Amino acid sequence: MDSPPPQKFPLPVDSEHKATEFRLFSAAKPHMRAFHLSWVSFFACFVSTFAAPPLIPIIRDDLNLTATDIGNAGIASVSGAVFARVAMGSACDLFGPRLASASLILLTAPAVFCMSLASSPASFLVLRFLIGFSLATFVSTQFWMSSMFSPNVVGTANGMAGGWGNLGGGATQLIMPFVFAIIRDLGAIKFTAWRIAFFIPALFQTLSAFAVILFGQDMPDGNFKELEKEGDKPEDEFSKVLYHGVTNYRGWILALTYGYCFGVELTTDNIIAEYFYDRFDLNLHTAGMVAASFGLANLFSRPMGGVISDVVGKRFGMRGRLWTLWAVQTIGGVLCVILGRVGSLGASIAVMIGFSIFCQAACGLTFGVVPFVSRRSLGLISGMTGGGGNVGAVLTQLIFFKGSRYSKETGITLMGVMIICCSLPIALIYFPQWGGMFCSPSAGNGRTEEDYYLSEWSVKEQESGFHQASAKFADNSRRERGRRLVASADTSPDAESHPPVRV
Amino acid sequence: MAARGTVLASLVLACLAQACCGNVLFSSLQRTLIVSASPHPGQVLKAGEDKITVTWSYNQSFAAGTDAAYKTVKVKLCYAPVSQVDRAWRKTVDNLAKDKTCQHAIAAEPYSLSGNRSLEWVVQKDVPEATYFVRAYALDAAGIQVGFGQTTDRNKTANLFVVQAITGRHASLDIAAVCFSAFSVVSLFGFFLAEKRKAKPCSTPN
Repeated sequence: MDSPPPQKFPLPVDSEHKATEFRLFSAAKPHMRAFHLSWVSFFACFVSTFAAPPLIPIIRDDLNLTATDIGNAGIASVSGAVFARVAMGSACDLFGPRLASASLILLTAPAVFCMSLASSPASFLVLRFLIGFSLATFVSTQFWMSSMFSPNVVGTANGMAGGWGNLGGGATQLIMPFVFAIIRDLGAIKFTAWRIAFFIPALFQTLSAFAVILFGQDMPDGNFKELEKEGDKPEDEFSKVLYHGVTNYRGWILALTYGYCFGVELTTDNIIAEYFYDRFDLNLHTAGMVAASFGLANLFSRPMGGVISDVVGKRFGMRGRLWTLWAVQTIGGVLCVILGRVGSLGASIAVMIGFSIFCQAACGLTFGVVPFVSRRSLGLISGMTGGGGNVGAVLTQLIFFKGSRYSKETGITLMGVMIICCSLPIALIYFPQWGGMFCSPSAGNGRTEEDYYLSEWSVKEQESGFHQASAKFADNSRRERGRRLVASADTSPDAESHPPVRV
Repeated sequence: MAARGTVLASLVLACLAQACCGNVLFSSLQRTLIVSASPHPGQVLKAGEDKITVTWSYNQSFAAGTDAAYKTVKVKLCYAPVSQVDRAWRKTVDNLAKDKTCQHAIAAEPYSLSGNRSLEWVVQKDVPEATYFVRAYALDAAGIQVGFGQTTDRNKTANLFVVQAITGRHASLDIAAVCFSAFSVVSLFGFFLAEKRKAKPCSTPN
């Protein structure tokens, strides 16, 4: 085993220098600082992407939009990120999360500034589509957290960063009307005030990107470019990263299931205000506040999912993480079915809040599993899963919430049924070294954490020592066997240092 | 005793609320007012600039005394059916409390029993681009609609005019948007250059 690293970090770290503790109220460099930079910049992107919905009553009059135009723009706002998230995953693997996320944020900020130039339904749709690309910063957030935090707290770190970023979708429903009102009271007419209002999220987004570049760092030991120069980190090849990500079936399953927790969350963000407005005759202001509360639950529900994943992982290992993910997501689906059936306002709000908690916790739980699917192609797997979330949002809105084929309540019930069905594939995820929901880990030789993670590197690459980070990760992830099995593993010969060459 | 009083009070309030705000059906109103407006059919008016002159009077063909309860006349700008298509927020509903056809107020004046009244109104800047007609409601002392008149026919297809809205855009806003956008992109490349320059000499990690 390596000798313990020289302790130059404010937080306790493992052999990869990833923090083994998560201290929320610290901004210590580099771990907690990375956390705060990533969630704030992701929050800014969410605020920008969903800045239009609360102002729609004014925008639709200014730009002469129909309900179809508004619906299409809503779908466009989440569809751009489908491929952007996958691309961002690869960019993180190759260039590091700091530059990848800051680049995307600064390149999408112009679209937010240019919202003030929108003059037709077409330009509105195109701008919402372009702004939606910024949601790919989710992937860089998760990648960054997975690079900075050790397996025992990675679920918590991912859940908090993701949850507090998603909070932007709820906060914007309160921020934008407030900013609009101030600008209008300062003397601007309505049709100009909303345009000026968009400068606020745009500036916030730009400044957060500056902060990421100036104060952030890719990995505990430094930035990608410096580490590559010094030989501490080999520069990887895109084709290899792509191959190992795309051929890992677990990434595809998680992409599907994430579409039915996060995708459903995005869909609900787009339709829930209208649902309460139409079905219960709430005024737009009140319906907006109800809609905001759905997104604001992210403050605690998604982080809670991540924390639960880590707590369950400590006791029951990866099998516990998978079972909990399936159970929480399925309960979310059941609550969604009930939401569509319930007829009174009070009960609807209560069920909606329950649904939001389980749905968002499932998102947190998903990213308690994702960091373990691949080490070499971590970014790509995160990107595929994240992209799958947006695909779920697009599909669900197209099937159940476009046109008048289904009433909104029927659409919500059917969405719940689809959640339950699309959570079942979690049972198919199997890690040879840890097991799956129904199968225990394979016994015998050739089925260790090292085998799994080092299989992503060829013999030649291993001879050149490219696989060192994966080997360290394999060692650190041994606790995913669960408490009982980790104790027995310590005495087995598998707990030896990683052999340099595998046949 | 107090509880009974509360129940009674809330019942009375509910009845009043019903009476003043709800459950007046448009189909139950008689077209007792004759309303005309200055725009010709199909004319395009510019929001913020052009004026509409609205004239209304009591339709004498109705029995005398029908207008005895009329206290106020509210004149409104209303959406024509073509501007309501695929826009549920402008929907016509018979129950006037829920009806969203007429969303822009032109004037509210006391009702005068004799002669006709006329006023001039500048089309407000927040009126959206759409096809419109003008309707006037006669309200009684309690604020409940008891009669109406409009410039168009029953099917709302005749005598409609168009308002061309302002865009809300300004040259200064456009310039600011373009400048800030350019700044974002340029600063990104600026950072890349700075990184490259920093990486040239052999450096220790930050």
